[in-house]
Amino acid sequence: MAEQLPVNFEFRANQTFNDFFPGGNQEIIGHLKNTLEGTGEQQIFIWGESGLGKSHLLQACCHHAHLHKLDAFYFSLSSAAGLPDPAILAGLDKFDVVCVDNIEHIGGDPVWEQAFFNFFNLHRSHEHKLILSASCPPQTIAIDLPDLKTRLNWGLTLKLKPLTENDSIKALMFKAKHMGFEISPQAGRFLLTHYNRDLASLWNLLDTLDRASLAAQRKLTLPFLKKLLQHLL
Amino acid sequence: MSSIWDNCLAKLENEIANADFSTWIRPLQAVESDGHITLLAPNRFVLDWVKQHHFAKIEESIHEFSNGNLVLTLEIGSKKSSAPPITKVAKPVETKKANLTFLNKAFTFENFVEGKSNQLARAASIQVSENSGKAYNPLLIYGSSGLGKTHLMHAIGNAVLQKNPSANIVYLHSEKFVQDMVKALQQNSIDAFKQFYRAIDVLLIDDIQFFAGKERSQEEFFHTFNTLLEKKHQVVLTCDKYPKEIVGLEDRLKSRFGWGLPVSIEPPDMETRAAILMKKAQLVGVDLAQEVAFFIAKRIPSNVRDLEGALRRVIANAQFTGKEITTEFTKEALHDLISLQDKLVNIDNIQKTVAEYYKIRISDLVSKNRKQTITRPRQLAMTLARELTSHSFPEIGNAFGGRDHTTVINACKRISELRESDHKMAEDYSNLLRSLSH
Repeated sequence: MAEQLPVNFEFRANQTFNDFFPGGNQEIIGHLKNTLEGTGEQQIFIWGESGLGKSHLLQACCHHAHLHKLDAFYFSLSSAAGLPDPAILAGLDKFDVVCVDNIEHIGGDPVWEQAFFNFFNLHRSHEHKLILSASCPPQTIAIDLPDLKTRLNWGLTLKLKPLTENDSIKALMFKAKHMGFEISPQAGRFLLTHYNRDLASLWNLLDTLDRASLAAQRKLTLPFLKKLLQHLL
Repeated sequence: MSSIWDNCLAKLENEIANADFSTWIRPLQAVESDGHITLLAPNRFVLDWVKQHHFAKIEESIHEFSNGNLVLTLEIGSKKSSAPPITKVAKPVETKKANLTFLNKAFTFENFVEGKSNQLARAASIQVSENSGKAYNPLLIYGSSGLGKTHLMHAIGNAVLQKNPSANIVYLHSEKFVQDMVKALQQNSIDAFKQFYRAIDVLLIDDIQFFAGKERSQEEFFHTFNTLLEKKHQVVLTCDKYPKEIVGLEDRLKSRFGWGLPVSIEPPDMETRAAILMKKAQLVGVDLAQEVAFFIAKRIPSNVRDLEGALRRVIANAQFTGKEITTEFTKEALHDLISLQDKLVNIDNIQKTVAEYYKIRISDLVSKNRKQTITRPRQLAMTLARELTSHSFPEIGNAFGGRDHTTVINACKRISELRESDHKMAEDYSNLLRSLSH
């Protein structure tokens, strides 16, 4: 049974604020919502190590914006294929909300730096909202264009805090519940100590486990979990 | 009632990976009419990607929710239009002029904080706004990024507009001028482009350094510039450096940019930084204590955008927690920023940067050598250490060869005097501060 598990399945549950476990990051969600609802900052820069949910939050922003009848565009600058063509920026100034994930990747690429600088000025002049994410704070991004570098610091910069161990367990239980099944705190602790701890990997694992539990018609008890993981790891 | 496209989105959201859905599907705008549904993509890149990777799925959903009654087409476009300036030529002069100037009303002279570093630029800008086309033409404001050049430019525009609501004022970034010109060339509307720019009463062009290397744009701007000056219409320019230093800018433009009055803006001193913070806080209804303003000003020594960013963080944090903004609270709210600043700027790298700048050795800075070629850089390095780090006078003295704290106090005093009387020292200080703060 376990051999049939689709371990590379891409996690597709909608990324919204409701299915983001905030832990110590409640404040960030508050600021993002304020911005999208027109009472907050025009520009927010979120940074933190990988696997904390930056992409989730940015996509949740687009989802939230859409609910409020705003045009939103999300794109990531981190891809195995390298940076996309800067032509992707054309016309994006007209979007009420633009979310750019992994902005640090444009550092040192003069064409992208210049293109993003032009987009930034135009988008800002329409008083549209810009939400950026990176793995490091704006000050340490290796941007060569000083005019762009100072602009990245301009808005509200917020650091995404890592979850504590207890919060990570709660996050797993929270996520499982959103997916329609339950795991116990013991099972959650077991997963954290036996599997890659970054949240994206854990969410994918949860999805795999959910399918396995459905296929086997069994609850995700600790013994069943141990048995499944033996096949997966 | 949800539209067919809304239903498709709800379906596709569960079929397409999150990131792909947010980038390629949700941003498409649907226009339904007469048996057709047209999805508008913002640009060619998105259009091609959607066609190549998602068209079949989208078409299948449209077919399902319209019972096969809608034909799908993909086009580049937007339901919103942001008219480029050239299209404004055809509009009557009276048409909502204030909305067409691209002026930011929030930038005024009243909320521009004056300090030693910017008082000349501010005074010249006020003069220009009061005697447009007559006082200094062109007015060129130059200095590093994030020091208030754009603010002054908008303030000039707003002040002129207040005096003369029918004045034709346009603010734009130099890149926008280039883009508009390229578009005009592509659309065979270069005459309309020329007509538009040459009929402006006050032209405010930001960051002219971006004209560098763009010969055709320089040519066109040269003619626009000459026409406006001949008509005694005002031109205001900003640049990140003195135009003569821009590589790739034609000599005739460099020379013309210097015809009127070139004024520089330097990085603000600590007192001005604190005043800026208090003013910015006041503008958003927050009463920032002087002690807190000085604390932030001391820790964020670089430019106004960085100061604004730090202030935003403190205010946002206070609003979220409901706590009062005290120095302790600020220290906590800016904890990350401060530790980063400490990592980026410390006495070691100040000594290294100063030594490199003056082409001396670091060991000279900490030695007993009393030659002026060594003592001045040493005094300057001590002053920068005091300005940019949180070290005490005794700690700084200790780091410079075990000197007494009074030596450091005297060094700071001496450099402050020299910055007033010696242009070279003022420039060295400004250059070093800029290089250490970025």
